[in-house]
Order: sequence, then C-alpha cells, then structure tokens
Amino acid sequence: MLLKLPLIIVAVFGLFMLVQFFVEAPFLDHTYQEILDWVQIIYLFTLWVGAINLIKLHLKKSTHKKEAPYSVVTLSGIVIMLFFGLIQGKEVGSVFDWIFKNVQVSLQASMFSLLAFFVASAAYRGFRARSTEALVLLSVAAIVMLGRVPIGDLISGLIPDFANWILNFPSMAARRGILIGIGLGTVATALRVLLGIERTYLGR
Amino acid sequence: MKRQYIYLLILAALTIPLFLPLGLKHQVTDEVEKFYQTIEDLPPGSTVMVSFDFEASTIAETKPLAQAVLRHLFSRRISVVSLSMLAEGTGLGHSFLKEVADEFGRKYGADYVFLGFRPQYQATILGLGEDFAKVFPQDYLRNNLSDLSLTQKVRNYEGISLIISVADGDLPQYWVDYAQTRFQKPVAAAVTAVMATSYYPYLSSGQFSGLVGGLKGAAEYETLLGKAGLGSKGMEAQSLGHLMIIALIIIGNLAHLRTRKKI
Repeated sequence: MLLKLPLIIVAVFGLFMLVQFFVEAPFLDHTYQEILDWVQIIYLFTLWVGAINLIKLHLKKSTHKKEAPYSVVTLSGIVIMLFFGLIQGKEVGSVFDWIFKNVQVSLQASMFSLLAFFVASAAYRGFRARSTEALVLLSVAAIVMLGRVPIGDLISGLIPDFANWILNFPSMAARRGILIGIGLGTVATALRVLLGIERTYLGR
Repeated sequence: MKRQYIYLLILAALTIPLFLPLGLKHQVTDEVEKFYQTIEDLPPGSTVMVSFDFEASTIAETKPLAQAVLRHLFSRRISVVSLSMLAEGTGLGHSFLKEVADEFGRKYGADYVFLGFRPQYQATILGLGEDFAKVFPQDYLRNNLSDLSLTQKVRNYEGISLIISVADGDLPQYWVDYAQTRFQKPVAAAVTAVMATSYYPYLSSGQFSGLVGGLKGAAEYETLLGKAGLGSKGMEAQSLGHLMIIALIIIGNLAHLRTRKKI
C-alpha cells in the first residue's frame, strides 16, 4: 500500500491536469484552482525540508576541524539574513537588501566573471585545428564571436551577416532537432510516470 | 604562453574600453527591432508583465537588459506589473524597477507594482492567469493587491498586453508553455547571450514577439532608445575580449603547427 498510494495520487492528479487542459467545465476549473494552491503549499514545505537539512548538515560539519569555518560562515549567513529580513524587511535600503547586493551579488558576479579568464586560457590551450572538422568548428566559432560584437562589422559587413546566417539556419536546425527530441522524451516520460512505470521519483 | 600572461591580456582587453570608450556603432538586428516594435505598437496606458527570471551571477548582462526594456516601457507610459520566478531575482528586480521608475517619475501602485517571488513557477504562471491576488495576496512591500490602483484594474492576464521575461535560464520557455499556450498571451524575452541561441526557434516560430540577447542585444536596444547605457559600455569591453580570445586561439594554433613540423 505504501508504494501504491503515491502511484495512485500521481496517476489521478496527473490525468486530471491533462483532462482539464482540454475540457472546459466550471467544476474542473474549481478543482484545478485548488490543485494549483496545493502545489505551492507542498513546494513551500519542500523548501523548509531543504533549509532544515542544510542547517543540520552544517551543524554536524561545524564540529569537524577542517570544514568548520565554511559551515560557520554558512550558518551565520542564514541566521543574519533571517534576522534582518524578519526584523526590518527586505525593501530597497534595508540591511537585508544591503547585504544581499554587497555580499551575495558581488560574490556571485565575481565567480561568474572568472569564466572569461578560464575560457580564454582553455581556448588557447585546447582549441586546436587537429582535423578538418576541428578547423571548420574553429572557423565558425571565430566568425560567430566576431559577428556578435560591433568590431566584426568594422572589419567587414559580411561577418555579422554570416554569423546571423549560422545562427538562423545550421544552428537553428540543430536546436530544433534537440527541442523535438526533448519534447518527445518529455511526453514519453510523462506517460511512464502516469502509468506507474517510471518510479525513480519514489527513490526506486 | 604562461596562464598568468593570458589572464593579464584578458584583464587589459576587458578593462581598457571601460575607461577609454572606443565609440563603436551597434547594428540593430531584426530580433531586437521586433522586440522594440512590439512595445512601440502597444497603446499608451497598456500594462505589461515583466518577470525577472535571473540570478545574481548574471547581473552584468541582465541589468543592462532589464534597464533598457524598463526605460522603453516607462517612456511610453506603459504600466508594469512585475515579479520574479527565482528568489535571487527578487531583490535585484525590485531595485532595477524602482531605479528606472524613479528616473521617469512613475508612482508605485498606480504605474507599477512589484509582486515579489513565489516558488514553483508552473503553478505560479498558471495561477496568475486566474487571479493575481490568489497567488500574491500581498505585493513585495506587503500592500494588499486590492489597495493598489493598478492591480485593482488588472487582475489577471486579461489586462496584460505582453509578458516579458528577463532571464538567464529556461524560464521564458515556461512562459510560452503555460501563459501563451493556455492564455494566448504574447511573450517576449530578454536573455543572456549564452541562452539566446536556444531561443531562436521560438522567435522564428512566432512564439516570441521579440528576442534581445546578451549585452549585444542591450546595446542595440539602447541604440534604438537613443540613450547609451551599461549595454553599450559593456559591449566595447566584450568586443576587445572576443578579439583577444580569437588572437589567443590563432597564436595557440601557430605554436601547435610549429611543434608538429619539428616532430
């Protein structure tokens, strides 16, 4: 029963959402509204589970000598942000907002910016024309890179045109193929979940 | 070449144009022109929904994009109902919105509203189509939606003329899947450069009413608005950065060829 109950819930609610999309009826609309509310309520509880799990994990780690400083920073961050958020709110100009913009945003933007340096270094070391295919790839990448910046247009007006052609035809054709594949895969997985064949979400 | 020298070269290429502008001209692409024209075609007094679907890490690209789009909307006296589908986009989205609204003297509650963040975007997007107040009984500033004149007038997607997702991930796709398919609302996207290529099929199929991609898109949009901003400035740095990477690839290949010949 413990296994069957979640499978029944998934099948019933999944089929209901599928049917109500195509059928217009007031009683279906009402139930649909209720389900949307429930989805958000359940999701909020999963956030709590995540937060509690994170706190428990770092409380445990804070006793280990080597990992303790990182865990202390994480736990302090949670407590400080929670404290200022609850006491003062999160509007522009609040302490919460100040810490968010000057600590979290700066740190995350810096981490992401480092990519430019790593990409440059990796391109220098790894982007080699070892075969005809690699040479084609290399040339196309260089044209798109130049075509996507105004300097490309300064060198030749043909570069942005060619870059746009690459994006609008060969690249789009490949992308469409991938999207169709994803779409078919999603439908197949959804059917497997509704029919109870796919059970990985139950941890099986 | 030692890694440290590569880093120094990239640093120079990215920072010099920020202090010594090159004055590069930006050619406006069709997709950006289409986005711009979609907003131009909206009658003044319309309401547009802007969703800040990005995280803090991509602020260098998403801020110029959001600012350019919001400047266009407010300059045309279009009201904005805004929200975020990602927790980190909430604080950033609110401050961008406030900054641009103040620039144009727009009033909170009457000209623009920021709803805030709700988790689980499928349910949020679908729920907003029925009633904003059911998903967000209060806005980000804890006002009841029933107390704000804009949300008294616009209660669900029926009052929304266009949905714009400023994103660094796959959220625009969800707006198409749920808001457009179910409620027939036009969707446009302003996304980071790395995501832009993924969305070209949506543009050509007509599912997107416009697409602004990365700093380049923001710079083009600023050209259309006639006011240079962060996009144009950042694009000059990116131009030299791209040139430097191409130069490094060529140098690397020449060195590789020389070693192969020696062998």
